[in-house]
Amino acid sequence: MPSLFRRKRLMAVLIGFIVLVALIGFSIRDRDSLTTPEKFFKDTVGWMQSIIHKPVSLVDNSVDNIQNMFEVYEQNQVLKARLSEYKGVIKDNQRLKNDNAELRKTMGKTESLSDYSPIQATVIARSSDRWFEQMTINRGEEHGVAKDMAVLTSEGMVGKIKSAGAFHSTVQLLSGFDRSNKISSWVVRKDKNEAFGLIEGYDGESGRLLLKGIKLDKELKKGDTVISSGLGGVFPSNLRIGTVEEVVNDQFGLTKTAYVKPFADLFNINHVIVVDRSVQTVENEDQKEDGDS
Amino acid sequence: MKRYYIALICLLLLVMQGMAMSLLPSKLVYSNLLMTPHWVLLFLLIVAIFYDRDKTYFAVWYGMAFGLLLDIVYTGILGVYMVTYALVIYVIHGINKTIHSNFIGASLLVILGIILSDTLLYVIYSFVQITSMPWGTYLILRLLPTVAANMIFFIILYPVVKDRITQWSEVINNA
Repeated sequence: MPSLFRRKRLMAVLIGFIVLVALIGFSIRDRDSLTTPEKFFKDTVGWMQSIIHKPVSLVDNSVDNIQNMFEVYEQNQVLKARLSEYKGVIKDNQRLKNDNAELRKTMGKTESLSDYSPIQATVIARSSDRWFEQMTINRGEEHGVAKDMAVLTSEGMVGKIKSAGAFHSTVQLLSGFDRSNKISSWVVRKDKNEAFGLIEGYDGESGRLLLKGIKLDKELKKGDTVISSGLGGVFPSNLRIGTVEEVVNDQFGLTKTAYVKPFADLFNINHVIVVDRSVQTVENEDQKEDGDS
Repeated sequence: MKRYYIALICLLLLVMQGMAMSLLPSKLVYSNLLMTPHWVLLFLLIVAIFYDRDKTYFAVWYGMAFGLLLDIVYTGILGVYMVTYALVIYVIHGINKTIHSNFIGASLLVILGIILSDTLLYVIYSFVQITSMPWGTYLILRLLPTVAANMIFFIILYPVVKDRITQWSEVINNA
């Protein structure tokens, strides 16, 4: 009998290996949507997470609140000083907005790349495996969330939707971005044109994004703001990404690479806004053309 | 009936794992040390040591099922946790026959289990290029903190569940 038993074990190992390779191969490619069982399990666990998340976040928030209380006085002083500045800015902003809208109307072009419709969501869990910078939010396809939408906090962009279930979806954080998730972006410079570049990954050691492909003659200063350009065809434009911290020439000396510090805190995220670009995205347009023809 | 309790506890631990990040102080969790909670695995190892007899493999099957669920919910790359957990629990189940089931024996087995599974996960993920961390960095920044953090959880979990699981095991085997 022992030989038979051993053969059985060998078979189990072999079958296990084949299943492993097949499943990885199936799931690692860039899929448009999840399979139904995956969605089902994701939503089931998502609901349980929402239930448990409530008391946990209550405790978590009250600890945060107590910590914040000690800093309130100083913050108040600074904010008061800033408030008068903002009043002027708000008026200016309002006037410019109206101007812009009127001009657009006269041109007959009402949609702009920066228009989007927001979907509010709460973060209910973070991937427990630290190789994956992902988190789960409590909005899904039923609420209008779809793959590749941008995800923001009030401070700035934090990531994009990696996959959407029916009622919950997975967000890939900026810190988990690699070469296959590029963001076409602009560096806003004072009194000059915007400089174009692509966000192409994340430097884990320093916690900064890599903005590559900037032309050599464009001078960037430390502290320049980086926003999304919307020209990549996926995200809306004008999403705040981060500030330039350091500029170096790339390894061949043909372009510059900037290290960008994200505005948003990528670790302590509670509430996010999922952003649906109003102008059709590239993929949607393709589909529409297919439908028309 | 008791078998369903085990599944329920596993499910609860799986859900809690996603919240571990916000439960623990953020300075610790988001420092350079990368800690991965393997709570489901910990519990299933205790099941393998105290519940399963020599001829039963409940923990292995649970490991497979909840490994797959972990893959679906937290990583999106199917099969990795499933195969790793099943294999590691099987190996520990095998070694368990030669070691006394007391606290020290169990903790040694659990440490071995966590090291095995985390390393196996690292190897698989570096094969499919999810990570490109070099071995040395992995050992110091990830493996050691992971083992330490999970052992703390094990020390909390052990007294709570050990007696109960031994009891369930006797009920099953006497029936």
